[in-house]
Amino acid sequence: MVREKETTLYLGPQHPGITGNMMIKLKVTGDTVVRAETHVGYLHRAFEKLIERRNWLQTFTILCRFCVPEPDPMELTYARAVEELENREVPERAEYIRTIVMELARLQSFMLWYAGQSGSAGLYLTGQWSVGDRNYILDLFEELTGGRIYHMYIWPGGVRRDLPKGWKDKALKTMDYIEKRLDEYNKIMFDNTIFQKRAQGVGIVPKDKAIEWGVVGAPLRGTGIKHDVRIDEPYCAYDKLDFIVPTQEGGDVWARALVRQEEARQSINIIRQALEKMPEGEFYNKVPNPMKWTVPAGEAWTKTESVRGEVGFYVVSDGSNKPRRVHVKGAAYTNGITVLEKILPGQNIADVSFILNSMGVCPPEMER
Amino acid sequence: MEKENKILEAIKVAFNVEGHIAREKRVMITANKDIVSSILLFCKNQQGYIHLNHMSVVDRIEDGKFELNYIIWSPTEKVTIMLKTFIDRENAEMENIDSIWDQANTYEREMREMYGIQFPGLIGRQDFALEDWDEMPPMRRDFDTHAYAEKTFYQRPGREDAKDVREELTKQSGEVIPDFAKKYSRE
Repeated sequence: MVREKETTLYLGPQHPGITGNMMIKLKVTGDTVVRAETHVGYLHRAFEKLIERRNWLQTFTILCRFCVPEPDPMELTYARAVEELENREVPERAEYIRTIVMELARLQSFMLWYAGQSGSAGLYLTGQWSVGDRNYILDLFEELTGGRIYHMYIWPGGVRRDLPKGWKDKALKTMDYIEKRLDEYNKIMFDNTIFQKRAQGVGIVPKDKAIEWGVVGAPLRGTGIKHDVRIDEPYCAYDKLDFIVPTQEGGDVWARALVRQEEARQSINIIRQALEKMPEGEFYNKVPNPMKWTVPAGEAWTKTESVRGEVGFYVVSDGSNKPRRVHVKGAAYTNGITVLEKILPGQNIADVSFILNSMGVCPPEMER
Repeated sequence: MEKENKILEAIKVAFNVEGHIAREKRVMITANKDIVSSILLFCKNQQGYIHLNHMSVVDRIEDGKFELNYIIWSPTEKVTIMLKTFIDRENAEMENIDSIWDQANTYEREMREMYGIQFPGLIGRQDFALEDWDEMPPMRRDFDTHAYAEKTFYQRPGREDAKDVREELTKQSGEVIPDFAKKYSRE
């Protein structure tokens, strides 16, 4: 038997597959991956350590930096954990506003995904369009929160401010525009034979192993398993809104892309419903003076559905004015390390970045 | 709370451990470290809790203990179990569970690196995020980050006189720093 020569290929730490830096050590024969080993550590900023020295509210300046493409789920998950520890009520209007913010965050992240996924297949036009259009959503964020990317808008007890005058109409018009544009992205991306051939049968996550492997988010729903935190453990106002959690069979990049395509549409649907059904009233159950604010001792585990999948926060309080421990479990912690190492062998080198994009790998949330 | 009671009773009967229902869909169990892997196997193989959600550690330095938490979830019951155990902080060692869930390997490698907890039989590279780290595991509560930074890093030459940029600018412009800003100055 002739044994092919095995070569080591270092992919990264900077490459087109992901946001952030991460290296993948590939063992290849020819252009086929035999083994993959993920290496993180290029972005470690000791956020969890820093949080232990901040008070409960100062923590928000760090939280949003756990994942640049989608910072809002971090704020919400932490805020909900603190509310659980304190038994703090959240006004109903705030729950609706939070839902809108979460779905806007998902929508703008989907548009970055469109860019990354199509770009890594060589289709750059989709990305140019979607990243350009994403700015209309960032405009909404800027008007609402004061920031385009990092918002620090969702706080324990509600949100920082109410919707500005005229914001609702502007948001509805933006949704109409984005909805039309999604059709155009889909035409040039999903109807394109290059994308279809690159995506079908590539990077398969087996359905029977997906949950056991810890797969979450679109990669899980792409195997046909209908798990979404918004349905299984509803938060904000999701239980009062009608929306579909799409699934696909196959578990490949194509299935994951189809799931995300429909999820982007569902985000628009949710935003419209929430804007219409939102009640009048208070938007913030004010917390005490942040410098003197103590949270009762205890622990909480809260989960939120981001574009990449389930984001979990394990928050421990010892009764003082600072968190004792905040441990973040981003979706990429499993999707981007162990799962990736399992699905890359047998793939073509050229598909590695393509698969990384479809798994939603985000290194900053792996090494907090 | 029928589902929560069912799993809580099943674990209590099988292992004689303490536990309670924290809220809807949250079952909390505290167990001795020697039976943690048995409880996890029982939950995974016999109760359908096949998804390892999370593993975490809290440094209880005041008690000389590490608190380890295993968070598992059932896709059919949609209930989360939080299993807690305590281990000694000195020569900290815990049973490796990466044979039950592969992804536990990542968590355990990180705990080994950040807290110094050993997991005998753990397969994997030595380093997770820190390369060639030979100091105290940095997430331990007694790791002095300031002392480490002072020892490891140095003032960039030529910038010794610019330790507080704000003060220098104030001197030049004659602007008065408000009190709330002064509070956070390095001095």
